[in-house]
Amino acid sequence: MNGTKNIIIKELTRVFTDKKLIFSLFIMPGVMIMVMYSIMGNLMKNMMTDIEENIPTVYIQNAPEDLQQTMEAVEYIADISYLSSTDQTDSIKNDILYGNVDLLVVFDEGFRDTINAYKEQGDAIPEVKTFYNTAEDYSNAARSNFVNNVLSTYQQTLLAKRLGNMELLQVFYIDKDPESSVIVDQKKEDGRFISMLLPLLMNIMLFSGAMALGVDAITGEKERGTLSSMLLSPIKRSEIVFGKLVSLAILSSISAVIYAVSAIIGIQRLNAGQAGGDMGSISLAPLEMVQLFVILLVVVYLYVGLVSLVAVYARTAKEANTYVAPLMIFVMLGSIMTMFSGGSDRGLTYFAIPIYNSAISIQNLIMGELTMAQFGITVGTIMILAAFVTALITKAFNSEKVMFNA
Amino acid sequence: MIIINDLTKVYKLSKKQMLEQKTKKNMKKAVDQLSLTSKPGEIYGLLGPNGAGKTTALRCIATLLKPTQGKISVSGLDTVKDSEKVREKISFLTNEIKLDPQFSPKYMFNFFGRLHGQDEATIKRRREELFSYFGIKDFEDKKIEELSTGMKQKASIAVSLVHDPEVVIFDEPTNGLDIVTARSVTDYLRLLKEQGKTVIISTHIMSEAEKLCDRIGIIINGILVKEGTLPQILEQTQTDELEDAFFELYKQHNKEEA
Repeated sequence: MNGTKNIIIKELTRVFTDKKLIFSLFIMPGVMIMVMYSIMGNLMKNMMTDIEENIPTVYIQNAPEDLQQTMEAVEYIADISYLSSTDQTDSIKNDILYGNVDLLVVFDEGFRDTINAYKEQGDAIPEVKTFYNTAEDYSNAARSNFVNNVLSTYQQTLLAKRLGNMELLQVFYIDKDPESSVIVDQKKEDGRFISMLLPLLMNIMLFSGAMALGVDAITGEKERGTLSSMLLSPIKRSEIVFGKLVSLAILSSISAVIYAVSAIIGIQRLNAGQAGGDMGSISLAPLEMVQLFVILLVVVYLYVGLVSLVAVYARTAKEANTYVAPLMIFVMLGSIMTMFSGGSDRGLTYFAIPIYNSAISIQNLIMGELTMAQFGITVGTIMILAAFVTALITKAFNSEKVMFNA
Repeated sequence: MIIINDLTKVYKLSKKQMLEQKTKKNMKKAVDQLSLTSKPGEIYGLLGPNGAGKTTALRCIATLLKPTQGKISVSGLDTVKDSEKVREKISFLTNEIKLDPQFSPKYMFNFFGRLHGQDEATIKRRREELFSYFGIKDFEDKKIEELSTGMKQKASIAVSLVHDPEVVIFDEPTNGLDIVTARSVTDYLRLLKEQGKTVIISTHIMSEAEKLCDRIGIIINGILVKEGTLPQILEQTQTDELEDAFFELYKQHNKEEA
């Protein structure tokens, strides 16, 4: 095992003494992920505040006299123009289409008189008609603000005048205190969104880390002729393979951690931009953290192994990258499947499907639902597969055809 | 001591390779029933044109390839059964095997020293010796990718000798080197011979074989067609110099093939 140790040290030295490699492998992707999410967050935030702060241009036709009072009461702010019943609205509608005007509100002629004249069922009920553009954010916001704040308040006021006693209309209440109605496991609720996204994110991050490093460390070395110099050392081929895989796993884990941390920081910035749309947070118990760590460890070793297996058979780095791409899609598919199968209970056999099992285990873990049996089967199957892959790579290292194209 | 007994190495050709080599056979005999012995304190030279099977034979000795038939023993150890122990005893240098370009000669030397299970003190002593002999000290901390071809070759030779091997196998050791560097390499091979090491090299440079090798084996199309000291070969082929002898043999044996 001394050979393995020396190879690991050498591989890590190779990466950490190369400033360019550190930058391109760790720093740049991390910064890029963070910047990308932050920019997205900021843009969303800006958009929200922009809409909130925008003063809409509103035209109101046949406005009843007491509407003004209601608008003052709810502090409705808009650039309002009043139209009489004889004014044409076609040009205003056109302006709404082109986004120059946000809202047109048309009250029926004699609106108040019709309401006042109401006596019994069948009498005329007047209409307030709004015109707005659903493709324009300003127009949408202006319309919903006008309807929810001004018109509904106005309606309540008129109703109160007509009936005198508003409680006649209420009959019964639904959830006077909505907060107390919600019965939920807070952890599960918080974890729902992240549990959907995280397995995919982690799998992709781990795999792309392995992909970037594995091809160079195996096919690259084969191409450069530096691998054969190691094959001439008086150590077992399996020691070389193990040394390579472990060092790659260490490097991939580091890059995965950096990617994940940048993504989380970025998402938090993104979160800040979303009004009310909380993505949730996760909290793990110590045992769960250990479980997550073990799962990630075996998964990263498996991915490194899979990439290396492809890399060892490829003659050139270009060829290797071509073969690795479909593997990446396969890994993504395994984790995307978890996104849409929700929290439904899965039988233990599902936890014996490698790659997919890691994704559902992480998902269950975040929701606080991972059982020891599920955990054991997941880690066990991945380890068996990883051992099998390691054996295959060792076999390839022993093959003249693969190593020397002989 | 290297003893090769009836070594035959057959390559399976892929369809693409069959097309490239314009052959319908899916097998290629690279080495055909080769037997030779290389003794301690002697430089044995394998002489032959490109593609004759020199490199294949040397790779078989170095345990990188397994013989299809026949046996090779290095210092009494079988290259297939005891391949790890054989690798402890040998140094193998070839053009296709290179040092990591991102590291310095010093780092590579230490790394391979450790892989050979040597302690730090021994590695340091060997490094001092070899680096000063080959004049590597000036650039021992530079990255290998920044070195010239000659410097790289010197570093490769020094690194391949880190464990003071009993058997030295050099595949075209002076290929691509200038006269000065080539001379220092051949001089070192003579030094190794004087130290009682078993040295076997391959070459297609006649003058090198003439001056350096104690015994020469001429290999054509995978077959060892003539073996002996320079005077023996010249006498048997009734020629005055090795180049003429070589062409004489080449004509004979290529005719037989055809």
